[in-house]
Amino acid sequence: MPIIETKNLSKWYGNVLGLSDVTLQIESGITGLLGPNGAGKSTFLRLITGQLKPNIGTVKIKGKKVRNNYSLFSIIGFCPEQDCFYDELTGWQFLTNLLKLHNFSNDEAERKAQEALEIVELSDDKNRVIRSYSKGMRQRLKFAQVIAHDPEIMILDEPLNGLDPLGRRKIIRLIKTYQREGKTIIVSSHVLPEIEAMTKKIILIHQGKIFAQGNIHYIRDLIDTHPHIISIKCSHPRELASKFIHENYVLKVHFAIASNSLLVETNNRDKFFSQLPSVLIENNIKVDEITSPDDNLQAVFDYLIGK
Amino acid sequence: MDMKIKEKITFFFTSGRNVFSFFLRLGLKTKKTKIFYLISFLPVLMSLIIKFSQVFSNGRQIEGTFIFSNMIMVFYLQFLILILALFFGTSVCSEEVEGKTLTYLVTRPIPKPAFILGKYSAYTLIVILMVAVGVIFSFVILNVDNLLDFSRYKILLRYMAVLTLGILCYSSFFMFIGTFLKRSILFGLIFSFGWENVVQYFPGSTQRFAIVHYLKSLLPPSSGGRFSFLLFRLEPSSPGMSIFMLLLITGIFLVLSCVVFSLKEYILDD
Repeated sequence: MPIIETKNLSKWYGNVLGLSDVTLQIESGITGLLGPNGAGKSTFLRLITGQLKPNIGTVKIKGKKVRNNYSLFSIIGFCPEQDCFYDELTGWQFLTNLLKLHNFSNDEAERKAQEALEIVELSDDKNRVIRSYSKGMRQRLKFAQVIAHDPEIMILDEPLNGLDPLGRRKIIRLIKTYQREGKTIIVSSHVLPEIEAMTKKIILIHQGKIFAQGNIHYIRDLIDTHPHIISIKCSHPRELASKFIHENYVLKVHFAIASNSLLVETNNRDKFFSQLPSVLIENNIKVDEITSPDDNLQAVFDYLIGK
Repeated sequence: MDMKIKEKITFFFTSGRNVFSFFLRLGLKTKKTKIFYLISFLPVLMSLIIKFSQVFSNGRQIEGTFIFSNMIMVFYLQFLILILALFFGTSVCSEEVEGKTLTYLVTRPIPKPAFILGKYSAYTLIVILMVAVGVIFSFVILNVDNLLDFSRYKILLRYMAVLTLGILCYSSFFMFIGTFLKRSILFGLIFSFGWENVVQYFPGSTQRFAIVHYLKSLLPPSSGGRFSFLLFRLEPSSPGMSIFMLLLITGIFLVLSCVVFSLKEYILDD
């Protein structure tokens, strides 16, 4: 039996379409929900947690309707996308108070809060008011309130936003640990590598519709047919260009002389990135910045739907 | 009683209690509470000034209870409890929506009415405490020469009971407004200083459509004092009827708030 089931789920805000005719069955393990900003990811997650009412369609978790079914929330943990807190409270007070809303006794709430804060490495800062937390700390605190009551189902809306690379890796590792414990986890993101690092099961969402669903390799193949542009700001852009221009996976090379940077268009991003470090070291080229201006999902989706 | 129903009732009250203690602690820490605490101390400051001027002047001494009654009429009944109930009542729901913290509450295993009632109780208690501290201090300062006259404490208790009823009633009404209106403060201000201020002076039974009518009906007969014009045209309802009506209004708006909060969809703007 699927853990989460939606049938013809549709939601619109006035004239704006939020989600259209989404029928899905989500089973245990990690499911990645991938889509550009404004695709309908948050709407979908708020609908399956009963925070929004669908205009059409139904949502069931473990066979039970969700909206106003408060008892279900003892097995659900939800991480909102927004950076919102009771800023006057300390991290410790925030967490223990939310745990008490699960009807845990004081001792139990404190024990669980301590465990969760240790997991997200916030126990040293637990007595500071949330207002003084950095973006990354706030994000970790949001994650702590998801895991603190040990839910079976975790619904995470952009949980890696605002985290530094190390923090991201830690949260990704944690999410994978929970998957091994048999939990059902839905993670949304607009960054493909983030989702890729967690799961092979992904759902592509775009303009409120499910665009593709399945194994990440299938979607990767779809996306890989789309050429990527990579911008490299370095000391010797011409020398670097000469090393790549003959490779069959490099389609075009452009220079932006004023900013000392090189734009490489490739149809095999992975191969390009695997070669780049050795070329840089062998030729003693100093790199200031590597960005991928084209590497946003919107561009990829536009390409896939033939815009 | 069926065991399941018993368990559900117990669960409901436990959830409500947990919400209450959460928001009591949180409510006491907010900037809003601190600012309103300062405002509610204005009558204390006024009482001190009056008392000092009485001590240092040789003129006719005005009776402390008389000044106290006027203060209740002018500052508390017509202004402070309305403002406090408005800002705390509407914020039960609207501050969660505007601060986008509602998401943490509606994804917890608590019935929505338990949340509404728990937070209402917490905020109402905060407002009652704010008012009580100011009233008691003012009373003591103004009656410092007659503190052993225990008959005066009866008046204090009566005023406190009326103000408490007023806070309960107005807060439940404003909470209801806050559950379904986005600009609840604006509506609340219009209601407080428009409707309540006008309708109470209408002749006949029309004045019974204002909450303040029932509150004024419960005041001691001599409470008008210098500001007796505030009791102008009051055709008081009986104390029993007044208490019944205030409790009824409170109950109706509590139920309506729970219903609206359970059914309404709150869209947290990104």
